[in-house]
Amino acid sequence: MKVLVCIKQVPDLESRFKPNAEGLWFNETDLAWRMNEYDEYAVEQAVRLREQLGEGAELTVLSIGPDRVVEAIKKALAMGADKAVHVQDPAVAGKDPWQVASIIAAYAKGEGFDIIFTGLQSQDRGSAQVGVSVAEQLGYACSTTLVGFEYDSGTIIAKRELEGGLKGVVKLKTPALVTCQLGLNVPRYPTLPNIMKAKKKEIAQIAVADLLVEEPVAATVSFHAPARKGGGIVLEGALEDLVDRLMGILNEKTAVLR
Amino acid sequence: MKALLIGEYREGKLLDSTNELFGFAAQLGAETAMLLVGSDSALPSYGGTLYLADAAVCGEYNPDLHKQLIVEAVGRENPDCIVLMHSSYGWDLAPRVAAALKSAQVSEVTGIVADGFEVGCCNAKMRRTVKPSTAKAVITIQGGAFPAQAPGGSPQVVKVSGAAGGGLEFLGYEPAEKKGVDLTKAEVIVSAGRGVSKKDNIPLIQALATALKGELGASRPVVDAGWVEHSHQVGTTGQTVSPKLYVACGISGAIQHLAGMKKADFIVAINKDRDAPIGEVADVLVVADVLQFVPALTARIGR
Amino acid sequence: MEATREIYWNVGHGVVWPMYLFAFVAMGIAAWGFWRRLAVYRQGRALNRVDQLPRRIALMLQGMLAQGKVVRVLDPGILHALFFWGFGLLFIGTLLIMAQADFSVPVFGIVFLKGTFYQLFSLVLDVAGLVALVMLCGLLVRRFFIKPDGLETIRDDYVVHALLLAIVLTGFVTEGVRMAATELAVNPGLARFSPVGLLVARAFASLSAEELLLTHKVLWWVHFFLAVAFIAAIPFTKLRHIFTTSANYLFCDLGPKGALATINLEDETVEQFGAATIADLSWKDIFDADACTSCKRCQDRCPASATGKPLSPMKVVKQIGELARTNPAGNLIDTVSRDALWSCTTCRSCQEICPANVEHVNKIIEMRRNLTLMEGEFPGDEVRTAASNIEVNGNPFGLAYASRGDWADGLPVTLMESGEEVDILYFVGCYASFDKRNREIARSFVTICAAAGIKVGILGKEEKCCGEPVRKLGNEYLYQMMAQENIELIKAYRVKRIVTTCPHCFNTLARDYKDLGLDLPVEHYSTFVNRLIGDGSLQLSPTPEPFDFTYHDSCYLGRYMDIIDEPRQVLLAAGGRLTEMDRSGMDSFCCSAGGGRILAEEKLGGRISAERVKMAQQTGAPLLVSNCPFCLTMFEDGIKTGGCEGELKVRDLAEIVAERIRA
Repeated sequence: MKVLVCIKQVPDLESRFKPNAEGLWFNETDLAWRMNEYDEYAVEQAVRLREQLGEGAELTVLSIGPDRVVEAIKKALAMGADKAVHVQDPAVAGKDPWQVASIIAAYAKGEGFDIIFTGLQSQDRGSAQVGVSVAEQLGYACSTTLVGFEYDSGTIIAKRELEGGLKGVVKLKTPALVTCQLGLNVPRYPTLPNIMKAKKKEIAQIAVADLLVEEPVAATVSFHAPARKGGGIVLEGALEDLVDRLMGILNEKTAVLR
Repeated sequence: MKALLIGEYREGKLLDSTNELFGFAAQLGAETAMLLVGSDSALPSYGGTLYLADAAVCGEYNPDLHKQLIVEAVGRENPDCIVLMHSSYGWDLAPRVAAALKSAQVSEVTGIVADGFEVGCCNAKMRRTVKPSTAKAVITIQGGAFPAQAPGGSPQVVKVSGAAGGGLEFLGYEPAEKKGVDLTKAEVIVSAGRGVSKKDNIPLIQALATALKGELGASRPVVDAGWVEHSHQVGTTGQTVSPKLYVACGISGAIQHLAGMKKADFIVAINKDRDAPIGEVADVLVVADVLQFVPALTARIGR
Repeated sequence: MEATREIYWNVGHGVVWPMYLFAFVAMGIAAWGFWRRLAVYRQGRALNRVDQLPRRIALMLQGMLAQGKVVRVLDPGILHALFFWGFGLLFIGTLLIMAQADFSVPVFGIVFLKGTFYQLFSLVLDVAGLVALVMLCGLLVRRFFIKPDGLETIRDDYVVHALLLAIVLTGFVTEGVRMAATELAVNPGLARFSPVGLLVARAFASLSAEELLLTHKVLWWVHFFLAVAFIAAIPFTKLRHIFTTSANYLFCDLGPKGALATINLEDETVEQFGAATIADLSWKDIFDADACTSCKRCQDRCPASATGKPLSPMKVVKQIGELARTNPAGNLIDTVSRDALWSCTTCRSCQEICPANVEHVNKIIEMRRNLTLMEGEFPGDEVRTAASNIEVNGNPFGLAYASRGDWADGLPVTLMESGEEVDILYFVGCYASFDKRNREIARSFVTICAAAGIKVGILGKEEKCCGEPVRKLGNEYLYQMMAQENIELIKAYRVKRIVTTCPHCFNTLARDYKDLGLDLPVEHYSTFVNRLIGDGSLQLSPTPEPFDFTYHDSCYLGRYMDIIDEPRQVLLAAGGRLTEMDRSGMDSFCCSAGGGRILAEEKLGGRISAERVKMAQQTGAPLLVSNCPFCLTMFEDGIKTGGCEGELKVRDLAEIVAERIRA
């Protein structure tokens, strides 16, 4: 059985973001990189499935981007993926979700994956489109926002996280694609033997030009910091002073202290 | 400009968020039609064309069929955009519609600007303006970003139906865990975020909530870490609240949380980061260390 | 009358061959006993502890004979030392008798146990025996009647006390009976030189001559067989410590204090990291269990034990020994327990006080290495998050690495990347870089350097966590990753000298980084500042009134690096008046944040930092001065949770000095 998990390397969200020279995405200087948090859950679930399936199963991890994404790929290999595919594309940040999905679908088409895992969305762009788009392009059954996953003989029982703590239970038949929500599992911390083994695992390199056929369908016109909303008061200074001023404001603007 | 709005229906009820779709359309200046897989006992207060499929037959969650119904409605209405909520229903369905229509999708729109749609990114710290280049576009809108305005009237219902596709079967709902606290009724909520640093400090926040005669709320990371029980969670996967006063302690303002509390009458944020995104929605941002400011404030209120 | 004694009087020279026969049999049994134990030690990995042999032998002899470490704790240290010296003298006395009776007389016809020498010999042995007897009684009373907290008494203890008591008592009675027959009436001048024997002799004076001879013969053989039993019993009872503990002085760690084995991560053949079973430990780790005399001094000083955590250093050592003997394939970590392992702060109180040179700390770290590197386990989710943060952003807080140097904005500090010459590289560390309270340390240090005309360089956003906390938690991989990045940069910038304000960074850069290729002078700012004051570069103007303070010796500066006096000198030069806590210097009590625990929440037992803050309060001083950002953080917390706000303030040494620089 063949399983695929798609991951994205994103900047650490604690970073301060500044628009790049073109003003269309963030400047990459001084950013720390990590695997997209949603994808960590996807990788963990994929590895657990692979462990459940045992002999004869194979888990591939795929990522698109410049050379630095190999770090994220290595982490997925250290968590337990068997092999990797790195689609080399230094300009992936400029592609829209439809194009990104098409690259993945072009790779996956001939490979016959039974189950594909992705994260629900990426932490930087957050469009939550790529996973479902890949499923549509491949004609796979698909469900999103998984906080529960069970597999048995071609059938997936998935729990979706809905609003207000409610969950929806869905049954899917493979081939299927699922997108993973935070809290689906507890991603394992790679053990050292696995980190060392990962160094020997195959990372196939594919040039994006070999896979990309789709034109962009949406353009980013501008990437900018939000305009400071007028009307919001910012209080700074010594502690007691701040308490005084806030008390004054609360008394003036609300009835909570009466 | 015409918009096909996709309403949401769950557990026998029309979701309130449906009305935000009208608000969006109004801002866009678009005429509207709506599609809803629901029931004629729960119709929106809206006078336009409503393509209604029976949820009892088509299923409340059946994305392939819902996609099919939408595509058919698009064929009949020829809208410029198809608008859904950016919800567990919407983000699941929209890309399927977009693929079927070979149209661009713009997700979680927070505003309409001259050259496109404004969306948040990088954990709400930054903004993007996106312009679809296809004839039609699928749009999902952020909960709470647009006013909920039911236009009024009774819809002209057009009954639609279809056959379910293979591959996916909805098995039912699992109810949420027992609700300890109903934050939706609270008039004052004081919420703890990651800036509170550790579980031991939660009582400090609770103390402020008590002093203000309010309830304790929490952001998702705090609940995930087990510092506070789930029923206190405010945000898209917790509760959406609209208290008179909302105090966000050590909460940075991730979109999912903001969506849950934006509608509060008065918002105070306490955060040591002057540029925290919560500052966007806060009426007052106190730049201070939560662990020092909150006890000092609690003490002052006590006097 | 002559001052001498007929050896083998009454028992006759015929006793020689059975005596030697039984003695050899006993020694053979003892040898066999040790041989069996050797097989147990051999289950551990190889480790070279016989290099620099002359030095080791000297250390062993000194340690054994001077009993220096034993008397560090006066009660019962002095009891044991005196007993040891007493019994030792008696043993030497016996050897001298053997030497004369079985060698010098038959071969050379020389008698040396005569005259003044024999008088001295008799007196010394009698006094030695008496001292030994009194001390033995003291130890007996302590163990069986006073019963100090935590002192375990087992069957062994009954056997050993009984045996020793019996030997000493039968020795004196045998002597007394002999003297009653040979000296009491006949040679009273000589009898005076065996005062105890004399007393005993008087008690037997009423016996007839035949009775005396018979009694003496019986007692002699009883005493002899007790001695033989003693020899044979050595490896099978606590008496083995005579050899094992002494040997442990020979096998001690001659490396720098706190050095850990640096795992070779390039070696692809290694599949097991850390210790999960006995076979993963070294032979010395197993041997330590036999060298340990269960004196519980380590347990008494362990801050985790003191606050109700399930960690006892002594117990860990003993558990390893027991597992090695009874179930070598068993899981070490399950036996010791994870809670116990994670509770250790690596403060080194245990190792510092241990009179048997047992090495407690590294065993714990080896087991932690197994948990972290082989199982991916952490003491808590918050630690896992911190480790992830270190991996992504080079600091445990998860703050953007690009802001690491922001604390220095506007201060006279040079960024190394500018290429300008600097006098020192100030390795700031994560806490002083990012934590609000600890940034004061960094700023104060810069102020001090500016006043002394020292040009300070920092790595700024290029600096990464030194890796120490995660290393002590067992994550050797993440530690080496961080270390390599730091070392590459430091080398690339051709740094000549490093100064740091954090004892953990200090230990790591000065000692641990040597294994990874960095060999530069690294100093902690307390000795650095002390020198600046000493050579006049830094001039302080103390306030007119001395400020009262108490001083906390951090574990990693005090016990690890022996830096006790210099920080005090600095504070006195700044005009301080010091009231020491009871637990100070090498006996200082940990703040709880060592061993990587700064990253973890303290969930078990009482708060160690609160205990220490109480100790500071008890001195009556309004100010507690520390020299480590972890200690500062823990004490600020401890003061708040302990409710001493307003009564006690904690500040770092750098802050005190910076405020008192002569303008």
